[in-house]
Amino acid sequence: MKYILYQLKKNPLAIVGIAIIVFWLIMAFFGPSMLSFSYTEMDSEYQMAAPGVNGHLIGTDSLGRDLLARIVYGSRSILTVALMTSIFSTFVGVILGFSAGYFGGKVDAFFLRSMDILMAIPPLVLSMVVLGILGNSNIASLTIIVSIAFVPATARVSRGVLLTEKSQEYVSAARIRGENHLYIMFVEILPNTTGPIIVEATARFAYSIMMVASLGFLGVGMQPPTPDWGMMVIENKPIIAQAPWAVLFPALAIASLVIAISIFSDFVSKVLIHER
Amino acid sequence: MNDNILEIDKLNVRFSTFDGMFSAVNNVSLTLGTNESIGIIGESGCGKSTLSFSIMRYLASNASVDGAIRYKGENLLEKSEQEMETYRGDRIAMVFQNPYSSLNPALTIGFQLDEVSMHHQKLSKKEARKATIEALTMMNLGDPKGIARRYPHQVSGGIQQRICIAMALLCRPDLLILDEPTTALDVTTEAVILDSIKDLKDQLKMSLMYISHDMGVINKVAEHVVVMYSGEIVERGPKEEIFNNPTHPYTRALINCMPRGGVVKEKTKLNTIPGYVKRRGSQEGGCPFVERCDRRNDTCESEYGTRKVGDRHFAACDRAYATDIPDTLSQKLVPKVQKKAQIDLNTADLLKIEELHKVYGSRRKVYAVNGIDFSVKPGSVIGIVGESGCGKSTTGHMISGLYKPTKGRILFNDLDISLAWNKRDKETLKNIQLIFQNPGRSLNPSHTVEQIIGRAMKKLADITDAKERRDRIIEILKKVDLGTDYLEKKPRQLSGGEQQRVAIARALSITPNLIVCDEPTSALDVSVQASVLNLLNDLQVETSAAYMFISHDLNVINYLSDYIMVMYAGKIAEYGERDEVMQPPFHPYTEALLSAVPEVDPTKQKDPIELQGQLPDPAKKPKGCPFAGRCHRQVGEICEKEYPPMVRISDTHYYYCHIKPTA
Repeated sequence: MKYILYQLKKNPLAIVGIAIIVFWLIMAFFGPSMLSFSYTEMDSEYQMAAPGVNGHLIGTDSLGRDLLARIVYGSRSILTVALMTSIFSTFVGVILGFSAGYFGGKVDAFFLRSMDILMAIPPLVLSMVVLGILGNSNIASLTIIVSIAFVPATARVSRGVLLTEKSQEYVSAARIRGENHLYIMFVEILPNTTGPIIVEATARFAYSIMMVASLGFLGVGMQPPTPDWGMMVIENKPIIAQAPWAVLFPALAIASLVIAISIFSDFVSKVLIHER
Repeated sequence: MNDNILEIDKLNVRFSTFDGMFSAVNNVSLTLGTNESIGIIGESGCGKSTLSFSIMRYLASNASVDGAIRYKGENLLEKSEQEMETYRGDRIAMVFQNPYSSLNPALTIGFQLDEVSMHHQKLSKKEARKATIEALTMMNLGDPKGIARRYPHQVSGGIQQRICIAMALLCRPDLLILDEPTTALDVTTEAVILDSIKDLKDQLKMSLMYISHDMGVINKVAEHVVVMYSGEIVERGPKEEIFNNPTHPYTRALINCMPRGGVVKEKTKLNTIPGYVKRRGSQEGGCPFVERCDRRNDTCESEYGTRKVGDRHFAACDRAYATDIPDTLSQKLVPKVQKKAQIDLNTADLLKIEELHKVYGSRRKVYAVNGIDFSVKPGSVIGIVGESGCGKSTTGHMISGLYKPTKGRILFNDLDISLAWNKRDKETLKNIQLIFQNPGRSLNPSHTVEQIIGRAMKKLADITDAKERRDRIIEILKKVDLGTDYLEKKPRQLSGGEQQRVAIARALSITPNLIVCDEPTSALDVSVQASVLNLLNDLQVETSAAYMFISHDLNVINYLSDYIMVMYAGKIAEYGERDEVMQPPFHPYTEALLSAVPEVDPTKQKDPIELQGQLPDPAKKPKGCPFAGRCHRQVGEICEKEYPPMVRISDTHYYYCHIKPTA
């Protein structure tokens, strides 16, 4: 704990990052109750209103919907999907990567080749195709598809950290004690790899926000009228000349969250290195 | 009189870290004359390396340095980074401990050496290559032209280190700093390197600063000795003075705790230094050694400072130690009759090895162990010694079940256990325990001491009740001199010696019959090594478990073993009772090994037999005697062609050589 404060002092940027993340979490939890507009309400007299006009803090879009309300509601879906994705892909990735690295040989070769195949398809394309086929995107389907797209990367990272730990002598000591494979993998090795895995999970968190926003931008994200940051950017693109804020604010929201999480991820890795 | 090449004046180096400021080098002053050699000795964490790095100005960015380092009168600490360029590598050169990491694996050796003289002396490519070849020749490397064309991974560790030294010599530096250059190498290689360093020092009129934790090595190369403890110089003076008349308690303790040639377990217990080196804050005063000193008194804290003991001999102990305590060097080893576990020669063998082979790899084969036979009696200690790559660890690992033998049988209580761990039964797993070289790696860093020891009990000794287990763990911890407060600690909160004690406790907790100790003290400091060896010996007497003790250190093996087995290139070179093997050695390899061990006593300088050449290629099955290529007593063609016959000296003693014993 003392060390976290020390690192915070050394990296003021991390404070900014954490503040932004906390800001968005508060927005997602309590934001809607503080708003004076709902995200679907169309203020027909104030279409493309500038920030500040008629109580629209950051303006309205082409249909006269309050941008702030849409961004705040949008943060809910994007944070839920991103969080679930990073947990889910890490979980599956660790199990796959650990088994492959631990057993080695044919299991490992099979794992590596199948991951290569998955990785050969760009995650964005993969998700787009699957979501396009499924048609109706919702939080669950987005989570699953983005997780699948991320599993190869997390699995490879887990396999890598397992391989360095596997050669340690405490693993040999466990073997000649007659421990079974599951015990060695998850009781002996796993606790020593939490550092890199947590760092990878937070990095995946930032990536999945990018991914969900990109899918929204490409039109396969959350279904309207549910607000989606990526979708907001694309739907307001035609009015960029008249109402630049309608594109700017959702884009800023995405950027701030992704950058903040990346900074946070760096910070976590610094703290965890000390823990070892 | 200003022919001093290096003068260090009140040097302080502090590091600011998360845990606060700590002082790595504290008020150090020393001088080094032209063509003199100085040896700096101390355990790890004593600031030896920091001192040498500060001369080269290689310190990390969180270091703050004050004082002065004068090289030929010029203060290096005031030089700019650019000016330092003209000193580093050119006038002051340094050789590091690990040659693999100081050479770039992607460039040829010749290229890396040429670069040095092209940069510093502005030589042309051709002249630089000439200088390179010359430097390599100086280090007695055969075929320097061939070596220059190779990459670092194509030559052995010993040759790599000689290349590093050659690189340091390229610009004919006035001062050569060597930071533990032979620590990672075998004794035989070490002997060769130390000799050439000594010769070149006089030949090139260099001054040497040699850093080591090994008294024997310092004894060989240095004229003056500086003993450092916790960042301070506690004693300095001419070598003979330091070794014959050590005045600071730490120097004494350091000299005494090394198991030296001729020291054996029945006769003496090794001296130890309790405690371990503590990091010092920047404000602390008084004697740094006070907590571990067995002679401390009230003045240690207040009246601390360097005192003159003799001509050029200074020590930082206030009570002219040598005079007020009747503890002279002749009595420095406290004789204590040790009980010895009785070995009943009539009982059946506990362990019997028959024609054991191990071949690694499938496409490119490595013959690690090439058919060895031996047996271990219950309650005896067998020491296996040899250079790295001789197959001693592989043998230990096969017996403990980490690897399956390629061929041959391992009989344990007449049960064939030449199987890997996953096929062995629980009883066998319990009865054979392995202690690893590096306790930091053999204990799971995420588990507590209780979990580490308790798991073995639960798994192999069927003690399922947690309360009962805890009681047993406390009991076993007491045996290895650790208290109850260690139960909840994790390995990284322990010092190296404490970690190894926990590892020993883990092995002993389930009362095995055989403990395989794979270099258990090699990663530890000498003072800690002594206490671990004492502990292992006491526990052996108490439990009468058999030990198979693997080490490259002949002195350690000699101290602890009842039987000694000398291995070379996967074969047994000599086997016998300890005294039969050690005095006199029969096999030429045993002889060479013995002669290469650096001696601590300066009066007993010996001439090591220099083994030239390298270990035979493990990828080929040797035809003749594996040692033939390096043997100094080769008898003729027969050595290369025929595997030597077994020569039996007595029931227990035999060796493999074409030379017959002379009556």
